[in-house]
Amino acid sequence: MSADTHTLFIRTLVRINRALRGKQMIRVDESIQVATNQAGEPVGFSWRNGSYQVITKPVRWFSRKNWWDESARAQRGIGAGVLELEMWRLSASKENSSPAQFELIHTEETNSWQLLRVFG
Amino acid sequence: MSFTHLNVSSAYSFHFGTAKPDELAKAASSLGFDALAITDLNGLYGAIKHIGSCLNQNIAPIVGVRLNVQHKGTVTILARGHNQGTGWAALCRIISAAQKKSKKEVAISQKDLAALMKTDNKANCTILLGPDSDFGQATILSNATEAAKKLLEWQELLPYKSALAVEIVSHLTEPGTNYSTMQAKRMLQLAKTIGITPVLTNAVRYLEPDDALTGDVLDAARHLEALGLFDPQPNAQAWLKPASLMEKLALEITESKTLALELLSNTEALAKQLRLDPVSDCGWSKPKTPEKSALGIEGNPFEVLWQKAHTGINWRYPDKSEDKLLPIRHRLHQELITINKLGFATYFLTVADVAQMIRDMRIRTAARGSGAGSMVNYLLGISSVDPIEHELLFERFLSTERSSLPDIDIDVESARRHEIYKAIFKRYGGNRVTLLSMQSTYRGRGAVRDGGLALGFEPDQIDEIAKSIWRFSARDFRGMLGKKPELRALAAQLDTDRRLNLLVDVTERLDRLPRHISMHPCGVILGNEQLLSHTPVETSGLGLPMSQFDKDDMDPMGMLKLDILGVRMQSSMAYAIREIERVSKKSIDLDAIARDDAETFKQIRTTNTLGVFQIESPGQRELTGKHQPTEFNDLTIQISLFRPGPMKGNMISPYLDGRHGFIKPDFIHPDLEPILKSTHGVVIFHEQLLKILNVMTGCSLAKADELRRSLEKDRKFVEKFFKENATKRGYSRAVVDRIWSVLDGFGSFGFCKAHGAAFALPTYQSAWLKTHYPTEFLAGLFTHDPGMYPKRLLLAEARRLGVKILGVDVNKSKDEYLVEKTPDGLAIRMALTDLYGISGAEISRIIENAPYKDLADFYLRANPGRATAKNLALIGALDQLGTNSQDHTRGDVLERVRQLSALKSRPKLTKDQPMLDFDLIDLMPKGNPEFTKELQLESEMNLLGMDVTDHQLAKYQPMLDQMGVVRANELVGLRSKTDVLVAGVRVATQSPPMRSGKRVVFITLDDGTGCSDATFFDQAQERSSHVLFNTRLMVVSGKTRRTGVKGVSVMAENAWDLDQLWQQYRQKNLVAVEN
Repeated sequence: MSADTHTLFIRTLVRINRALRGKQMIRVDESIQVATNQAGEPVGFSWRNGSYQVITKPVRWFSRKNWWDESARAQRGIGAGVLELEMWRLSASKENSSPAQFELIHTEETNSWQLLRVFG
Repeated sequence: MSFTHLNVSSAYSFHFGTAKPDELAKAASSLGFDALAITDLNGLYGAIKHIGSCLNQNIAPIVGVRLNVQHKGTVTILARGHNQGTGWAALCRIISAAQKKSKKEVAISQKDLAALMKTDNKANCTILLGPDSDFGQATILSNATEAAKKLLEWQELLPYKSALAVEIVSHLTEPGTNYSTMQAKRMLQLAKTIGITPVLTNAVRYLEPDDALTGDVLDAARHLEALGLFDPQPNAQAWLKPASLMEKLALEITESKTLALELLSNTEALAKQLRLDPVSDCGWSKPKTPEKSALGIEGNPFEVLWQKAHTGINWRYPDKSEDKLLPIRHRLHQELITINKLGFATYFLTVADVAQMIRDMRIRTAARGSGAGSMVNYLLGISSVDPIEHELLFERFLSTERSSLPDIDIDVESARRHEIYKAIFKRYGGNRVTLLSMQSTYRGRGAVRDGGLALGFEPDQIDEIAKSIWRFSARDFRGMLGKKPELRALAAQLDTDRRLNLLVDVTERLDRLPRHISMHPCGVILGNEQLLSHTPVETSGLGLPMSQFDKDDMDPMGMLKLDILGVRMQSSMAYAIREIERVSKKSIDLDAIARDDAETFKQIRTTNTLGVFQIESPGQRELTGKHQPTEFNDLTIQISLFRPGPMKGNMISPYLDGRHGFIKPDFIHPDLEPILKSTHGVVIFHEQLLKILNVMTGCSLAKADELRRSLEKDRKFVEKFFKENATKRGYSRAVVDRIWSVLDGFGSFGFCKAHGAAFALPTYQSAWLKTHYPTEFLAGLFTHDPGMYPKRLLLAEARRLGVKILGVDVNKSKDEYLVEKTPDGLAIRMALTDLYGISGAEISRIIENAPYKDLADFYLRANPGRATAKNLALIGALDQLGTNSQDHTRGDVLERVRQLSALKSRPKLTKDQPMLDFDLIDLMPKGNPEFTKELQLESEMNLLGMDVTDHQLAKYQPMLDQMGVVRANELVGLRSKTDVLVAGVRVATQSPPMRSGKRVVFITLDDGTGCSDATFFDQAQERSSHVLFNTRLMVVSGKTRRTGVKGVSVMAENAWDLDQLWQQYRQKNLVAVEN
């Protein structure tokens, strides 16, 4: 890791920490099945044999990817999908357990979902 | 619900926005918006284009700027409309004030901003406080109280309701970060609490989400760092979203239908107040020429112009009898009537005033362009070619059919151009004058460089790739990979190198985007006292203020732009004249010499036109050989023929055939004979086309020029007009059809004869000087370097002409190439200026303290840096100081310089001891070897870039002789289609546009006896792709091709790197010896 990449890495960490002060984070990175309402918002999902209900209004936001590290092409018209990630942050709970925060990635083209991180 | 985007950065927010104003306006219109703002960073660089595009799309323009306010973050400031331009004026002056602070950091203080923003206690602009303002930042970084405090501070400073709005933006970024919905919510809440109108924008920086990738690359170019080494934009949301998505955003931020509607209607209400009326607010297309008082005239400007022009008749035609003056007066009156109708009298008086001022400064000038077609310009001294004598038409320059201000371009001595700019500022006042700016855009090489930077390529690797981009648009980079031989190696790597593949894509994305603004090389805007209320200005590299508008913005803004172009040839000629006067005490008025000097034309016909204006390029030399000009008009024709248009239109061969009597000119109809006689039946000039239309259809010349202009766009209409009217006037169907086919083929290919004639004048003048005063002329060329070739080629030309060159000598050389009298006649003394690494201060010290008695004296008093002292010794500039006794070699001199340089501290000169005797410290060394010829040449090439004592090729001569390489001056004696090898130093590479669209590469090599020109077609380019563009010393094989009486070129078959051949040759010889 070069010095500059390192700085960037630290900066990103600081940002994440600020957003989720005092919470423990587990990186998951697994495909999951998600149920959505008519507006496309997740209402529940299953993960590791558990069924989770979303308990507050989920927040959608957009993050980004470093296409220069990953993509084979970047030609005009390739589309923002190379760059952008649709993220969801939500509180959900399994039956009888306390809620946790989940971060999901939604891929529009394939309508697939991925559980990125869990904060508890 | 309608919506208006109030924060839009176009591509004129350099290295930030990705869409050009016309693309944005078009998109806005098709999205159903009825107004659109442009708010570029730090200036109105794209504003005029935006207004023009909005007018085209029939939507209302809104204009603002994103500006840094000192310690208060970045805000958007928008001009309020329909207030007789007070909003626009304030915006201009705010930007100018922010630009004034410093070139590096454009910013305005909050106080200055507030002061400039009000007129009669009303706000004339509205500030949007968005996420990047101090207030917006505080909503992320601090608590609500802190944020509220910042907002209250703004409110206190600008207590007018319309002065402030809070700009609510959500780019749907990660909650809690900048541009997140969370931030938008907080800002909205505080705005409501404090009572400042919130409005919704999308802080747009691109047209579509896909453009975000381009945005990433521009960010890297702005940061001067590779992607991944800085915080990139958070996502791809900053695009021109349609109203429906903006409504959705409003709903997401407010979480209430009512509140969302309120936010959107606030936005619309503000947008209405910001709509500009181009005419009353921005002075759209209203002429802004200097006031009479500024020009020092009284009374009606037209009467003054009339008077001045008539006075000019006596000056220009002192000996003409009254009846000979009749056509001149007639022409003048026609022109004056047109000028009066258009109301351009002040414009002409202004240009004449500037031209007179330049002449009073004793600076050489010449007009260029269609302006030379005007009798008024000739009589006012703006131009120097007689439009009647050269058959030039006023209508090509100006007519009542067009109302835009004409372009009058004035060529001046390049070395004194800035003097003229300063004089103009002084004469008309800083409030009426600014320089013009120029937008540079990404082209192939720049795009590859910045794309490479963004992707983290090593500079060397990028250089290599950039070099192979030659004459094609980077927009089709990928398409070209398979077509151009020199890109083949690169294309092969793409399959395996992902990053290289990306480079091709990002290069294509960058192509044609504006990259930065710089001073236009020749434009000066002359306006009235209110100029600075119409254009924002910033500091140019020259230190003088420069408008943020470019040349395309002049006409829509009714601004008068003068092109005062520095032409090095004018400086060179002025220099030659001064040297003639200084050395030979002869004074020459170059503009008064007869234009039919037989010696001059004879010299031109030899095709040794190196250094002659306009006709020194390889192509022009070849054409000179074929054409063999004998009079001034021939030069006009030749200059006009060698242009992309006539070349593409294939006009050269039929003209030459007619001229040499190979074919009988076909005038098609006797009426056309007088028009086409001088060009042997070929239509070359716009003026000829105008006359044909005029004679055959009876339309006016002014109308004819309009038809000419629409020939390309609206061919059918012109055809119909021509055929109908010519038939009506009795021309037969066959004649009409044939002539139409000629006119149709002419299309855009012809050339304006006035341009050609204006150029022919300095061409003739420089050829005249070269013929009669070659030494002085070459001295001028060396000093001002006007040509397309390296200086070392001028040296070769001097050798060929027998002009003696004296090497650099610290006792005699100055900062110019002086003509020196020697016992053998005149010679040129080389200047100190071309020595590698020498500084301006060193040059001045050497000149001021000369002459020097010996090396120590020089070292002490001229006080050169160690490297300079050594370099001077190496090129022999110190020989005269060391070899007084004749038994010291240059090796000794160099050794002595080393000794002196080795002294720890230089003794300082004092009053009591003006000379130190270094000889006491050490003596002049002796017995070091003399420089070999090869070492001498090498030093000269390395340090001067010129092979002074001999030609660079000399070293290779044994090999070249063995190979049977032909010398350039022997080519002319060979039969056509002889197989030859030529060698030399590359002096020019050209790839002019060809009729077939195929690329042809011309390479000119100099071998000391002259230049050989080699032509590379497809196959030859394939074979020699590795040396085609990069190798300096070359050997070319091919067949001779006769191009005219005096012309032979080589049809290349292959080419090699001379140095590589030399290595092989030497190795072989060594092997031969060993065996």
